[in-house]
Amino acid sequence: MARIQSPPILSQIRVARSYTEQNAGLLALKDEIIGHVQRKECWVEKGILETLVANLHAVRSRSPPSFDGDGPASPAGSTRPLSDHELVELQSLQLINSFACGGPSFLPPLHAAGAVKAILSHISPAENPSQVVLTALRALANIADATRLAPPGSDDTTALSEALFKPHHVSSLYRILASGSTALVVQEQKCLVSRLISLLCRGVQQQNMLASHGILDALATILASFVVQRGEVVPGAEIMGEADGLINLIPEPAPLGADLSLTLEAISTIIADSPYRSCMLICSPAVVAVFPKLGFTPPAKETRVVWHALETSGLCNFRARTPGAMDYRLPLVPINQPRSISAHYTQFPPLGFSLSNDNLASLSVRSSSGKFMGWDTSRFDTTSVDAADEESESPLVPWLIHLIRSTDGLTRVNAASVLASLFKAGFTFPEREVAISHLVVPLLCQMLKDHDKEIPPSARNSVLLDHDTVLDWAILERTPTVLARLVADSDLLSQAAYECGAMKTVHKLLKDSYEPMPNHLEPRQWSPSPERTRGGEEGLPTCRMGPPGRIPLYAHRIKMRESSLKLAAGLISLKEEYRKNIAEQETVPYIMESLSAHPRKPRSAKEKARADKSAEDADGPNENSPYGVNPSSVILAACHVVRVLGRSVSNLRTTLEDHGVATPIFHLLRHPEAEIQVAACAAACNLVLTCSPMRERLLELGILCVLCEHARSQNPGMRLNAMWALKALVEGADHDLKKQALEELSPGWLIQLIITDTEDDALHSRMSLGADDETDQDMDTDALDDDDSYESHLANLDHIRAKSVRLQRAEVQITKLRETELNPVRKARNDDMAIQEQGLNFIRNLISSPSVPGEMVDYVFGALGQDRLFEILASKLHSKATRPYGRRNNLSDSRIVFPHAQVIEAVIYVLVNMAASIPKHRQLVIAQTKLLKLLSSHIDSNTTTVRLALCHLINNLGESEGDNDGVMSGQRAMELRKLGILAQLEELERRDASIDVRERAKSAVWKLKASAS
Amino acid sequence: MRQASSSSTATPAKHGFEKRVADVQSPKSDINALILDYLTMEGYPNAAAKFSKEANLQPQQCESTIVARKRIKTSILTGDIESAIRALNEIDPEILEKDPPLHFELLRLQLVELIRKCNGGDINPALEFATNKLAPRAATNSEFLKALEKTMALLFFPHDALAPELKELIHPDLRQDTATKVNEAILLRQASRREAAIRELVKMRAWAEASARAKKKDLPDKLELGLYAEDSEYTDGHEPMITT
Repeated sequence: MARIQSPPILSQIRVARSYTEQNAGLLALKDEIIGHVQRKECWVEKGILETLVANLHAVRSRSPPSFDGDGPASPAGSTRPLSDHELVELQSLQLINSFACGGPSFLPPLHAAGAVKAILSHISPAENPSQVVLTALRALANIADATRLAPPGSDDTTALSEALFKPHHVSSLYRILASGSTALVVQEQKCLVSRLISLLCRGVQQQNMLASHGILDALATILASFVVQRGEVVPGAEIMGEADGLINLIPEPAPLGADLSLTLEAISTIIADSPYRSCMLICSPAVVAVFPKLGFTPPAKETRVVWHALETSGLCNFRARTPGAMDYRLPLVPINQPRSISAHYTQFPPLGFSLSNDNLASLSVRSSSGKFMGWDTSRFDTTSVDAADEESESPLVPWLIHLIRSTDGLTRVNAASVLASLFKAGFTFPEREVAISHLVVPLLCQMLKDHDKEIPPSARNSVLLDHDTVLDWAILERTPTVLARLVADSDLLSQAAYECGAMKTVHKLLKDSYEPMPNHLEPRQWSPSPERTRGGEEGLPTCRMGPPGRIPLYAHRIKMRESSLKLAAGLISLKEEYRKNIAEQETVPYIMESLSAHPRKPRSAKEKARADKSAEDADGPNENSPYGVNPSSVILAACHVVRVLGRSVSNLRTTLEDHGVATPIFHLLRHPEAEIQVAACAAACNLVLTCSPMRERLLELGILCVLCEHARSQNPGMRLNAMWALKALVEGADHDLKKQALEELSPGWLIQLIITDTEDDALHSRMSLGADDETDQDMDTDALDDDDSYESHLANLDHIRAKSVRLQRAEVQITKLRETELNPVRKARNDDMAIQEQGLNFIRNLISSPSVPGEMVDYVFGALGQDRLFEILASKLHSKATRPYGRRNNLSDSRIVFPHAQVIEAVIYVLVNMAASIPKHRQLVIAQTKLLKLLSSHIDSNTTTVRLALCHLINNLGESEGDNDGVMSGQRAMELRKLGILAQLEELERRDASIDVRERAKSAVWKLKASAS
Repeated sequence: MRQASSSSTATPAKHGFEKRVADVQSPKSDINALILDYLTMEGYPNAAAKFSKEANLQPQQCESTIVARKRIKTSILTGDIESAIRALNEIDPEILEKDPPLHFELLRLQLVELIRKCNGGDINPALEFATNKLAPRAATNSEFLKALEKTMALLFFPHDALAPELKELIHPDLRQDTATKVNEAILLRQASRREAAIRELVKMRAWAEASARAKKKDLPDKLELGLYAEDSEYTDGHEPMITT
């Protein structure tokens, strides 16, 4: 081997006098290393990477200014021969890519040599020939793939994604995606960009950035080109398009080499669970152009008759809408189980039509003629577009369902993932839930069963996988997550999944993912020269090989843990029955092990109890344990399952207690990662309830201190969850514990939490810091200054938008959602309100003590100060102006803060509990005239629970037990009458929409009148 | 259905199916496109160029791509594996990088050629090649290992008296097989499919016939375009279909 690795190649590359000479060297090196891992290692150790990276930079500085590499003028990427220096770039990139293909152990030297930066400088299609761009993208994708298999600790793609998703590079990605060329090279570039987005885009910030830089629009255009290719453009789109100019936005059919599945996956990665970005997809110009909202009369008489028959018999129901062409591509799904339809259906009238004015015309045609074909002069009803307001659904939704039914494999999964986003964000008609439960959920469940095959023996010990296995695994890894998003918080869909056996599938997948693996490391190749050892400590970092990576099966197993845990949590989010079922399936041991970074053999409760007696931590953390190492994503998913499981009291008492969940959750509260701490806090909320037997154990471990510490965290999510858990902890606790909790938290901090708008203030100071310079305008708008392609695209759109009512309407909707979702002021305020609410609830739980009334109230008065407390309570009830001076214009909406209903309710319940105490405290409450006046202004609140709470309070004030309270209760009644509250109550008694409020008001009125007399 | 089949036995002379086949009109442009596709995919650059000119069709791939592919095929068929690998890396370095089995197969073929060359003479080049290039991979994969062991056995037996399973290693068919696989691998990268459309059509036809027979649909006993050995006189049945 040494004979072949003659140094001449290296020196030929390093000190070449001409590009030609250098190219010859690179070519020789390429033939030498491609496909040969061992020789790649040798070359890395000789320091080739640095040379290659230097090549890329050096050539860069010498290269002449740009030319357009991918215009339609130069298709197939090979018509124009590359110049010599471009060839050097191309070959250097190909070589770097070849090293990246070598696997995770090549990552450390590649990173040390700065390869990623060098690669990124070659992805701009404006400055590089298409072959070069292609190779650069391939190299990035291979590095990302290798990272997935890297040993724990370095298997994180964050650094890579931060490097890639910078405005400058994102505009290059945009150019690639928006290129009109049909050349195969360009199509492969587009596929790679989509893959990179799916692999690397994480977090709201990156998702928003990709959405606002046109990437989402470009992907939506590619999606629309598939609609065209499949011949599924909504009939009438051309006519509509001619009227408003959108016809030019209907793309050409998707060319050879374009990939629907990758496009859908990238779209779904970007929009995730955001209504704002989902709306951007639906309202993306190309999608609007191919999917106009048009009514449609199918030409086949039979179809119409069937629809009509079902409609009149009440089995299906289209209410206010005219079915569009896409609806006819789906089977009709009868709605025959109104009882199982979830709550939001009730806001729609039960069966039958309730039409808006716009549609009255078509209704009258229909009903007067008694036929369904009211508008057969034209098949599509262009008038209904005016009725197409924000609530109507884009035909994209039925198209996706149709796509899910007519495709298979990853395309189906990814289409379902996009559908899940649209469904969660509320862009689907309510009756789609039934359609999804019949048409989509069963398909996904079946896919999980079909692709769950025996692991081929070759895959157990190899990095080599056959094509089918790769596909099966990808489907298995993605489907549970998609299904989980669909079924979570939907009774109907979780029931559908349950009936399709999803619970059993979860159990099996999770169990299989914990099958012990004797070996996770990629196998070493045999070497004819045994003295060579891998990765010594000596040498430059660029020349030193990293540790070996994992085999793909290992990564698959870990991913399966995460996704099946997510599905488990989704399935049991609502139904107690399913929570019990999952406990019976013996799935819990696997969930418990997933709480630990270093899982051991999953054991049933009995085995565990036996084993724990013998040795708690016999074996310390072991990198090579047959159960692998759980990354944060698995631990987070497991915390979530524990949280949902804990919603069931019976689970708290049996399963969770038996498996000793308290200890691992407690340890996670101290996990180094904040995200996990927050999730563990959320899980702890249920475990510390009085009905939980784990409460004692957690207290012994010292959960009180930890929670109080977290309540002071910088992270608002952490403060919220910690306060939530503390609130749960003191509920029904004995007085010692309550006092201890208040002391530990410190009364001063509690007041701080309740009165200050911490997040809002922090945001304000952040903003005013940057207020002077203009950079703080909006990160993403000015970042695009250097990029004319997207700008010109936008300008072009503006032109069309001026003409198109549809696009204008879409724009309005996007802006509205953007405001709700992205406005940091709003988010900060919501965080503050939620924390304040929990702080007040904490006080409420402190002072509520039915056994020894009064004691805790006095204690809290003593700790917080009686007047101070009432003052704080009052301050929470009125709207206030925040920071009236020095406001910035764009934050004008934060000037006046109206109290949130939840906070008002929390305040009232503090008073309710005070009034439920001894007569002395009732007197104190009634003496707060100012406070009571404020309260009376909320008695006509829109929120039922607030009105209910107020009635509750007055009931308590009207109470007349205890010594000589009779006199005092008479006084209190007089006082309330004077404040006008009695009259208001009588009003509630007569008029309120809620029967609970009416009943409660009735009893309060009766009490007040009785005491007064 | 049963009724239909009974009627078919009654009139064996003119089968209903054949009548329907005759009724199907295949547009000439489709047939031409199929031919061009075949010529392109199978690697006949000159014929493809001429045909596309004659039939007034847009070439599917530029000529140089087809030429490069053909050259690789020829190299493999003539036993010059080294230049085939070099050319393959030139076309697309990721082909071999991402397909270790294919790479192994090529290297093994190269080993066979080396053994063939040293027949009776110095076996060192072959040994060295096997040690450096094939053995490291064989250690990670049992199938590679088996293939390598089998190939190495060639060194120990005279080539004119080999066991059948070894004989197939030095048979020209191995080159042909490998060449086809390489061609398919390149096509898969370039055009997202492995083979000429006509081959898929033939397979689909076979599948359709098999499933129709399995479901006892009414078909003539024999269909042209012989798919069965006993029908070998029909094997050229597709010729007239193309020329019409």
